[in-house]
Amino acid sequence: MRPAEPERLGGVLRALLSHYRRHPWQALFLLAGLVAGVALWSAVQVINSHARASYAEADYMLGAQATHWIRSRSGAGVAPADYIALRRAGFRQVFPVVQARVATADNAPLAIVATDLLALPTGDGGEALDEADLDWLAFIQPPYQAWYPAALAQELGVAAGDRLALHDGRRLPPAVIAAREQQGRQILMDVGAALSLLGREHFTALAVGAITPAEAARLVDALPADLQLEANQQRVDLTELTASLHTQLTAMSLLSFAVGLFIVFNAVRFSLWYRRPTLRTLRLMGVSMRALTLAVLAETLVWSVIGCALGLAAGYGISLALLPGMSATLQNLYGAVVGSEVLLDVRTVALAWALTLAGLALALAWPLLLQLRGPVIAANTAAAAWRDDARARRVLLVGAAGMVLLAVAVYWHMRTVVGGFVLLALVLFAAAWALPALLAAAQRGLGRALAGAPLARRWIVSDGRAQLPALRTAMMALLLALTANLGVETLIGSFRTALADWLDQRLGADLYVNSPRLDAPRFVADPANAGWLAAGHARTGVTLRWQGRPAKVYGLDTTTPDTHRLPLATAAPQALARWSAGAGMPPPILANEQAHYLGGLQLGQTVTLPADDGPADYTVVGFFHDYGNPYYQFYLPREALERRWHAVQPTGLALWLTPGASEAAAEAALQAAGVQPGEWSAQGDIKRLSLKIFDRTFAMTAAMNTLTLLVAGAALLTALLAILHERLPEFAQWRALGVTRRELLRVIALPLGLFVGLTWLLAIPLGALLSWLLIHDLNVMAFGWSMPMLWSPLPALKLGLLSAGIVALVLAIVLTQLTRKLPQAMAQLGSAS
Amino acid sequence: MKRLWLVLLMLFAGPAAAQDDPYQVLRSTGEGYAAVEPGRAFSFPADHLPHPDYRIEWWYLTANLKDAEGRDWGLQWTLFRQAMSPATDTEGWDSNQMWMAHAAITTPEGHRHEQRFARGGVGQADVRLDNGAFAAWLDDWSLTGEGPSVLPGRLRFSVGEATVDMQLGSDTPPVLQGEGGYSRKSAQGQASYYYSQPHIAVRGQIVQGGRPVALTGTGWLDREWSSQPLADNQQGWDWFSLHLADGHALMVYRLRHDDGKHWLSGSWVAPDGTARTLGADDIALTVLDTRRVRTPTAADPKAVRELPLVWRVRLPGLGREWTVRALIDDQWMGGRVPYWEGVVQVDGGAGGMGYMELTGYGR
Repeated sequence: MRPAEPERLGGVLRALLSHYRRHPWQALFLLAGLVAGVALWSAVQVINSHARASYAEADYMLGAQATHWIRSRSGAGVAPADYIALRRAGFRQVFPVVQARVATADNAPLAIVATDLLALPTGDGGEALDEADLDWLAFIQPPYQAWYPAALAQELGVAAGDRLALHDGRRLPPAVIAAREQQGRQILMDVGAALSLLGREHFTALAVGAITPAEAARLVDALPADLQLEANQQRVDLTELTASLHTQLTAMSLLSFAVGLFIVFNAVRFSLWYRRPTLRTLRLMGVSMRALTLAVLAETLVWSVIGCALGLAAGYGISLALLPGMSATLQNLYGAVVGSEVLLDVRTVALAWALTLAGLALALAWPLLLQLRGPVIAANTAAAAWRDDARARRVLLVGAAGMVLLAVAVYWHMRTVVGGFVLLALVLFAAAWALPALLAAAQRGLGRALAGAPLARRWIVSDGRAQLPALRTAMMALLLALTANLGVETLIGSFRTALADWLDQRLGADLYVNSPRLDAPRFVADPANAGWLAAGHARTGVTLRWQGRPAKVYGLDTTTPDTHRLPLATAAPQALARWSAGAGMPPPILANEQAHYLGGLQLGQTVTLPADDGPADYTVVGFFHDYGNPYYQFYLPREALERRWHAVQPTGLALWLTPGASEAAAEAALQAAGVQPGEWSAQGDIKRLSLKIFDRTFAMTAAMNTLTLLVAGAALLTALLAILHERLPEFAQWRALGVTRRELLRVIALPLGLFVGLTWLLAIPLGALLSWLLIHDLNVMAFGWSMPMLWSPLPALKLGLLSAGIVALVLAIVLTQLTRKLPQAMAQLGSAS
Repeated sequence: MKRLWLVLLMLFAGPAAAQDDPYQVLRSTGEGYAAVEPGRAFSFPADHLPHPDYRIEWWYLTANLKDAEGRDWGLQWTLFRQAMSPATDTEGWDSNQMWMAHAAITTPEGHRHEQRFARGGVGQADVRLDNGAFAAWLDDWSLTGEGPSVLPGRLRFSVGEATVDMQLGSDTPPVLQGEGGYSRKSAQGQASYYYSQPHIAVRGQIVQGGRPVALTGTGWLDREWSSQPLADNQQGWDWFSLHLADGHALMVYRLRHDDGKHWLSGSWVAPDGTARTLGADDIALTVLDTRRVRTPTAADPKAVRELPLVWRVRLPGLGREWTVRALIDDQWMGGRVPYWEGVVQVDGGAGGMGYMELTGYGR
């Protein structure tokens, strides 16, 4: 480079950038697009990497390593005496854990975790006590303490010292707003406090810290018969189980990044338009192509740095706001513990910048450079714009056709969730790219239809030709946002309905009891209960691993009402009858849909499960819906289960009351049998709790959806303001020719209304297609849940109204701008081209 | 006196406050707890067991040992009980009793220590009769008697990978310290109940790196309980338990006062177990040399302290004096409540062996 060039480059860059000083709103829109795109994308990245970091800690428990678990084979939990015996035998890496789910007074689910902080194997035994914020005298002594992470306390409206009331009237210990490592959204308390609160005598499990293989072998020998040592595979399980969810979130964030890029495109289009004279002048002054190219690249770099930095800052803020919802989702769905503090890591920052740079290169640098290559003196008329636009529309249409072909090809070979999202992206973008051609065709068609109409009407319609080039990208962004919104809305609606129906079918009993103290079969058989008890179903189960994932096999009573009406998604003929009778060899088994869709199990196939004395073979005769469960599950008749597995755990008791019997009678009988209040739930409570969990789980999706639509609204606003700016001299001319403001507004509003309306109409079938793909393919591949798709016109109407609202708002803004700027524009008429 | 300060007691002060002054809790009035009064009748073996009405209590065992090659070894094992409130103890998770244990071994290769904590009421740690036999334990560390007495008994614990297993026995009765077991700690009335078993024959092995080493020697058991052991103007103390070559045992300590007028006390125990209480006029303690010792703790891993590791111990009334010197400098107990405690030689080993404890020395 010659010595003079840096200065010259600086001059050229200043000349290029001076444009933004004259038109600061363009800088604003450019930034708005970048920031919106980067913010949502990085927010999801931050949340995803935070969640993954939490999974990596899944073999830690409240700051102590938990490489193994000691659990009871019978499900009775671990007796404190067995724990003490292990400690006295020198197993100091063993510590007690109580975990429970309870419900608040207004039925919000709460997770409780408890341990003995004094027994936590952290370092030399004193560390757990050395934390400055821990007043462990109060922690381990009545009335004890309940530690709430700040976010959870805020959500629940709990202040320090409060004793939160539970659904059944029990109260938690006084609140302390504090959290330990890996506490996540759980409430931490002392193990003594938890046992007394829950009325339990047993720990949920014992966690085992770092242990050598030799010690582990000694530990296995030291365990009483009912206890077993199992490796803690939660880290692996969580990473695997949640992969689909994270992919889904990433896809949504990329979509919003794309929508953000549309705004950038829009802004750039006009900055290009405006800078044509500048570029022309610079080139006529003899500035080399090389210097101009460098200046353009420098400008791209500047914008990418500013946009990325602001976007990351906003993204960090958004991630903080979304994290509680995300943590709730992960805890509800997978039992994953996700902490509440987030960090922006170098990888996210670098990726965000790379994405911004790539996006800008595509949206800003490339068109600028193309323009440089073009003739120095270009035609500068609306007709030329329309001609260019027509060419662009054709290119886009061809691209769209190519994407449709590609989508079809992908559909036939789609196996993974990522593949599914690639398909969705192709469908969405094909539609978006085809949209301008479609809108132009509609405009042409309307023009032809109005061939004999009065001038005003024909004029208004044909002015759409002048607006379309400017509105093109905004309409594409709007289509994307509307389609995604409708698709996801239908998915959530269908899912919620399917879940509610399923709950209605599955939760047929009046009361559900889960108590370690109750001998369920005896309670059901007790003649003293005959007065109020119509039927009872005591289930048993074993936990094992199938295909490398946790799986549960339940033993059902084949005579109870719920088993008779077991809703099956797919089944062989006479499946339930054959299954109940245990007819055939190998004996029949029912599996959940997850085993079918995720485990690859087919109807009629033989499934082999690890039973106590060797593998046990079963024929799959049916698949049942099992929403919300990330694990595999199988049903056997109870006797069949107990034949092959000896240490089955009671997994709850369902009770049907005789018509007219009071719940109070049932509750009195339960209490007399040793069941504590809080260990039974009424059917309605469980349903409400389940739906509440569902709504929380999808809170994150809904939030993303709204944000995407907001970005699209911003795109529309930028486009219209650009049109206004670009055509202000034209509008001034019209005013001078006697066109009223009202007529002017009509000229702007009607074509815009036509385009938005068409876009909205197109979004309806596209949204349906999207939800169909989500429900029939992606959801099944990601979670293994199938459900009927329920399309409703309501979300479409709601979005239509919302779009109309956005258009009205944008028009109002445009109108005030017009009112403000027209007088000056009219004054300048004839003074410049 | 011994180890009063060694209180579990961050319990009452947060750790930050505890680092400023770990002894503060020992100076609190002890209101609500049983008070230490003169004239108590001791009864054995019942007094080997806990006295839960008092705030703090300990079972404190040290031993000077030799291996087949005549090299010096030492061990310390202590179980502390602490009541967290004056309320009557309830068994179970609600119990207000807390336990802490310290263990250390001094080997020819150096010194190692470990601390443990446990709550009371659930059986993880306790001192009680187990099938009629004395048992004190925290997890797998234990001191058990063959009968209701501590002795004859067995001590088992581990420090890191090294395991200790010792048989303990004694022919002499417990020595009641102070005035019949009432041990005054200041002129203002602070006191504790205090008895010792100074002549314990110890025999057993330490397994280190898979290699067992047979050891024999003499041990010393201290039992003490109180509710308010320290006065406001006491900073810490220097304490000695010495097994002299002629068969006598000597215990002396001084509680260091702000104004330099230290509180001195001790006892002179004949080989047959008869003991004589020593007052301030009977004892003269002089520091002959101090050493800079690395004294790391979790909170302050780089700490170095200037500690008095060479002393002249003089009993003017008996016309006896000894030079007492730390066997090795590094016998630092860097746990939650840090102090120096370790093996000392009397007159280069020719005069006997013993243990020394130094507390309350700042950086």
